[in-house]
Amino acid sequence: MAAHRGTLWHLVGALLAALLLHATASAQLPQPGKNAIAASLIAESSAVAPGGTVTLALVMKPAKGWHGYWKNPGDSGIETQIAWDLPHGLTAGPIQYPVPGRLIVGGLMNYVYEGDYAQLIDVHVPADVAPGTALPLRARVDYLACTDEVCVPETAKVAVGLRAGVPGGPQASSPTFDRFRQALPKPLGSEGRFERAGNRFRLAVPLPAAVEPAEPYFFPLTDGALAYAADQSFSRSGDTLIVETDAPSNAASLPAVEGVLRLSDGNGLWLTAVPGRVPPAGEALGTEIQQSPVSLPAVLAALLGALVGGLLLNVMPCVFPILSLKALSLAKSGGDEGTARREAIAYTSGAMLICLALGAVLLGLRAGGSAAGWAFQLQDPRVILLLLLLVTAIALNLAGLFELPALDVGDRLARRGGHQGAFWTGALAAFVATPCTGPFMGAALGAALVLPTAAALAVFAGLGLGLALPFLALGFIPALRRRLPRPGPWMARLRRILSIPMFLTALGLAWILGRQAGIDGMALGLAITMVVALTLWWIGHRQGQRSAWLPLAPAALAVVAALILFPAAANGPPTSSAQTALDSEPFTEARLAQLQQERRPIFVYFTADWCITCKVNEKGALERAQVAEAFAARQVAVLVGDWTRGDAAIGRFLEKHGRSGVPLYLYYAPGKPVETLPQVLTPSRLVSMVS
Amino acid sequence: MKQMLTAFAAVAVIAAPVAAAPVVGRPAPNFKLADANGRPVTLSDFRGKTVVLEWSNPECPFVKKHYSSGNMQKAQAAAARDGVVWLTINSSAPGKQGHVNGGQAKSFVTKAGARPAAYLLDPRGVVGKVYDAKTTPHMYIVNKAGTLVYAGGIDDKPTPNPADVAGARNHVLAALSELKAGKAVSVATSRPYGCSVKYSDS
Repeated sequence: MAAHRGTLWHLVGALLAALLLHATASAQLPQPGKNAIAASLIAESSAVAPGGTVTLALVMKPAKGWHGYWKNPGDSGIETQIAWDLPHGLTAGPIQYPVPGRLIVGGLMNYVYEGDYAQLIDVHVPADVAPGTALPLRARVDYLACTDEVCVPETAKVAVGLRAGVPGGPQASSPTFDRFRQALPKPLGSEGRFERAGNRFRLAVPLPAAVEPAEPYFFPLTDGALAYAADQSFSRSGDTLIVETDAPSNAASLPAVEGVLRLSDGNGLWLTAVPGRVPPAGEALGTEIQQSPVSLPAVLAALLGALVGGLLLNVMPCVFPILSLKALSLAKSGGDEGTARREAIAYTSGAMLICLALGAVLLGLRAGGSAAGWAFQLQDPRVILLLLLLVTAIALNLAGLFELPALDVGDRLARRGGHQGAFWTGALAAFVATPCTGPFMGAALGAALVLPTAAALAVFAGLGLGLALPFLALGFIPALRRRLPRPGPWMARLRRILSIPMFLTALGLAWILGRQAGIDGMALGLAITMVVALTLWWIGHRQGQRSAWLPLAPAALAVVAALILFPAAANGPPTSSAQTALDSEPFTEARLAQLQQERRPIFVYFTADWCITCKVNEKGALERAQVAEAFAARQVAVLVGDWTRGDAAIGRFLEKHGRSGVPLYLYYAPGKPVETLPQVLTPSRLVSMVS
Repeated sequence: MKQMLTAFAAVAVIAAPVAAAPVVGRPAPNFKLADANGRPVTLSDFRGKTVVLEWSNPECPFVKKHYSSGNMQKAQAAAARDGVVWLTINSSAPGKQGHVNGGQAKSFVTKAGARPAAYLLDPRGVVGKVYDAKTTPHMYIVNKAGTLVYAGGIDDKPTPNPADVAGARNHVLAALSELKAGKAVSVATSRPYGCSVKYSDS
């Protein structure tokens, strides 16, 4: 009987599956004669000088739900193949792929492009082509188009017509192609190291410590180096970024591993690594966002801390009366255990919900802030200063220097009987009783600014749970209700004592500030702290009067001003962006031409935050005093091109000088051909260059 | 019955003391799967014979390339002549591309003129995942002693174009003839290419 039913269900299941498959397949397959990924070929300019190069873009537009593949497609898929049909003598270079994305389907990794993308190809035109000659370029492109379900090999016949221009004519550029180029990975310029340790693949990438990759991921171009679908973890050891992931099961020994290190969306560095020692994992970096943004222990620790903080809130002078009032009413309500438990749960959910809502608001503000470019990181001395001020204010409040104004809305709600009343009492305890919860809410706020989202939310949830814990215990353990201590002066004393750990925290923050911003920065920070403390004292003195909080306005203004001025006033922390001792201005070709007209000697250098060679040269040579003196003596103008974000105009200039990336050092002496300096600079080389 | 078999396969495979993925030169993980007729097939029963494992999905363009050109059937026939056991395995999950039941599997074999010793159904992807099968086709060879001696692609031309079969080195046929001659397999691993195996999402 059971077997019969099983067969029947099998049949129905199979039918449904077949129907479903049919439906999805027919909905997803592209219409006959139309590709799922439309391919077209465009040229950066229609005229190309004989002996010159023109860049072509193979523009791919996937239909919704479809994706194309990177050169290394991952666990499955194939790379794009182009069969060229070019006029005699013309040669096409390799396909340059933009930084791809990741797509995991059924546990298999795909390196893909889910939106429109462009693959660039440089075509060289021989010098002996007569100007005006028509140059039709044709190609057959074979590529794979896939959805999550199906793959279709597609072929596109593409063509673009060019014309030979005047030899040595200007090379055209277009904003569209600048955009395409910006999506390509930039050459890192320094070699990485990789090793296989047991079943793990480990990679060391030289990357200046100041670079904070937002979404790091290493896309291996070399097959067989690492297991594509495995999680990658990132850590820092000084100027080295360490990538760790699983090695594939049948890994061969490889002479080199090539790949693209993505720093953030669409921003990647192309690098080659050779076998060598990889330093042990250092300071962990927020691992890739999509997979496991926060480690479990970190969240648990935050949760536990918040739980204890929430518990402490209960003995605060204005929460405790609420609690004892409720406990009293519970005790009075007679032995109905069910009601007591339900009320306890309602109270808990009220408290937690309000805490989570507060957390969500804060995180929303934080998201808005980082979108606006604020960095909420502990490496930023301004954030440390802000935390210092916050913690000091909390400590002073606990010590009784001033009180926060009480809010008494919501009291009505809390007086309602039953679960609703209990819920609102919980909410009240967490929110409306802010004068006392304030200090700990403040601490949670500080934590929320610097913790990852999940951990920050855990802090708020823990705070709410901690706050509700005694009441929860009262609801479930009747004996406790009669043993509750009475409110009294002991609570104020305890509050004073709790200010001690807060003052110690402030001390620690001041020390960190000193480490980061130097002794001047610390002194300035402490001065601001003192101003705030004096203001709060004043406020405390005036408390009870109508406009007690008025003095806060100028103090707040002073703090804001200090925060804005702070990094400039402080001795730049050692990791901040290079402040060269040379007087420099940003590079533009126009400015370069202008300075050449003025017959000034000009030193031009191109750098990027992620370029370790650049940083070494800047620290070791460019920022030396003797170099600054020699440059000043000769009135050498210094132009700096920052290629951190892959600026297209700089990219073209680099290419013109035969470089695909940074660093590049050029010296223009008046009336002499431009001199290209070696990639490794010494102070003496720079001094002799200008003299 | 079939459900029991699948569950059985899962247990058999998980109980086998193997690492996450099979390694060439190490014992091939044992497994038990139902064939198109619902009969259980166990890898270890073929000890003493060379076994080829072919991951397949009848609707994948790369699988079609090797069946429409007759390449796969030719290899299967050659294997059969030499007493090599050829097991075609389908790990497409229900509702995913290429999923077949026993009847559909049999009609595929008949229509394509394929010559596998058995067409095995792995709808839960258990065996596919133990073998770390990533693409269709993805090929494995187990020697007479039960050691994995080849894992990788069918050949060295990773395209969906049937015309490319002619100029390609068929890694599986080359390995089989080396094994027959008592030699070591010269190309023991290669990069598999094709569609992804359509495992279930869970």
